[in-house]
Amino acid sequence: MSLLTLDNVTIRFGGLTAVDTVNLEINQGEILALIGPNGAGKSTVFNLITSIYQPTEGTISLAGKSLVRIPTHKIAEMGITRTFQTIRLFSELSVLDNVKIGAHCRGKAGLFQAFTRLPGMKREEAEIEEKAIKALEFLDLATKCEEMAKNLSYGEQRRLEIARALVSKPKLLLLDEPAAGMNPQEKVVLMEMIRRIRDTGITIFLVEHDMKLVMGISERIAVLDYGKLIAEGTPLEVRSNNAVIEAYLGSGKFKSRIRR
Amino acid sequence: MKKLLNNWIVQVLLFLSLLGLTAYGSQMINDIIPPYFLMIAFFIGINLIMALGLNLITGVTGQLSLGHAAFMSIGAYSSAIATVNYDLPFLLGVLIGGLIASVFGVIIGFPTLRLTGDYLAIATLGFAEIVRVQFTNMKITNGAIGFLGIEGSTTFPIVMTIAVLTICLMVWLENSRNGRAMLAIREDEVASSAVGINTTLYKIQAFAIGAFCAGVGGALFAHTTTFIQPTDFGFQKSVDILSIVVLGGLGSIPGTIIGAIVLTAAPEILRPLSNYRMIVYGLLLVVIMIFRPYGLMGGVNLRQALRRAMMFPKKKQAGREE
Repeated sequence: MSLLTLDNVTIRFGGLTAVDTVNLEINQGEILALIGPNGAGKSTVFNLITSIYQPTEGTISLAGKSLVRIPTHKIAEMGITRTFQTIRLFSELSVLDNVKIGAHCRGKAGLFQAFTRLPGMKREEAEIEEKAIKALEFLDLATKCEEMAKNLSYGEQRRLEIARALVSKPKLLLLDEPAAGMNPQEKVVLMEMIRRIRDTGITIFLVEHDMKLVMGISERIAVLDYGKLIAEGTPLEVRSNNAVIEAYLGSGKFKSRIRR
Repeated sequence: MKKLLNNWIVQVLLFLSLLGLTAYGSQMINDIIPPYFLMIAFFIGINLIMALGLNLITGVTGQLSLGHAAFMSIGAYSSAIATVNYDLPFLLGVLIGGLIASVFGVIIGFPTLRLTGDYLAIATLGFAEIVRVQFTNMKITNGAIGFLGIEGSTTFPIVMTIAVLTICLMVWLENSRNGRAMLAIREDEVASSAVGINTTLYKIQAFAIGAFCAGVGGALFAHTTTFIQPTDFGFQKSVDILSIVVLGGLGSIPGTIIGAIVLTAAPEILRPLSNYRMIVYGLLLVVIMIFRPYGLMGGVNLRQALRRAMMFPKKKQAGREE
């Protein structure tokens, strides 16, 4: 069953077509990777899914519900959370607070609750804290609870971003280059972690440049080049696909790479 | 014991007794200390209330506002009109002042919230100037001559009780879901909306509450000085309040309290220096900012330090023994 459907999605920035009639289905419970050379439009696809950009044409829907023209902050509530290519943590706040903020869309308390501090509000706070600590334990960060986010190591910060995205129990987790800047050992740990997240029933859609990681964990791979989807299939199929090889390594013949 | 403290009714009683104690204590102080020092204490309280409001907007939510004096003047004038022209009771006037200021906080909030950083600062500065000019030209405010005949109804216990109340409300707010959302907006807006925070809503909330505090402060100010004129609420006033927040440490409530005390008392303490007073005052600001660039209490998280001490006491001791 497909969880997220991209149907003929196109976005143009002026004369540039960043994403060109992309059709893609993400199935419930799978790990799907989106790869492609730099500037292929991978991150734009993520920004389209999270409603940061609106598609010029086409529709995106989550389990049948359209995501077009829904404000970004409602997307998390609907069950899609993400991490960012460049780490975007709340760096001056504690690790625990970062994750608690991640649970924002699952809370209800408003100003009235903040000022009256009725038992209901405190129960919700306790629940949020419990969830946050669980998410931190899951990503092996529980001992760093009170640390400020900016004082974590690079790999830890990446993991904290994932924890923040996980705490609201999303249906779909978007990982934008989760392995960027990690050393080989950290990458192995990350792969294991992504698998564990998937095993809790969360569908994973990731953009990644590290082929070892991509080939190692994804069940399906989609390849984007100049905004167009050029291949889709299992890692083995994609690896031997001529169009993919050409996109990454060139065709061997002189060919202008400028789009016509 | 811990269970008892977690009981809501017990907490309400504790809170009310804190307010009562403040009122009683400040009444005693009121009777003892000379009027000159009392006046300084008045202004410390009023500045603190307003600075806590600005701290929410600028320190917690990260929206640089240079228009706080405008909200203060709206509160001051509307409460003065309420008590003088409509004969309403003083405390009701204070509430009206706060509410009207808060309405303007929302009104200014909507169009300017697309702006960030310096641009927002300029827009709020412009708003403050518009308000000031408007008050200079309105009949009901008696224009540039100033609004006369306000009763000096503000008493020291009232100022102190409202100040303590504001501190409590701000601490609660900062430790709630709303407060966390506001902190998140300060840290990273894009990431905030990605985790489901409606950034516009929380920015407007911050502006409304911050403006409310400024309005209440302005109302208390009007009923302390008994005479207000538009020049009382110029750009300088906005900067004064902002200095309190920045010097104390952006986003830090204890910092704002210290800032309000230091910056309100300093010009008075330095009075013996006569002509050199403001030079020393300026120098003091510069020196503090050199040695504590994030403000006096910047980077000091009291709650976190306390929690850390309470949460992992055993682990820490074990660490030391090793």
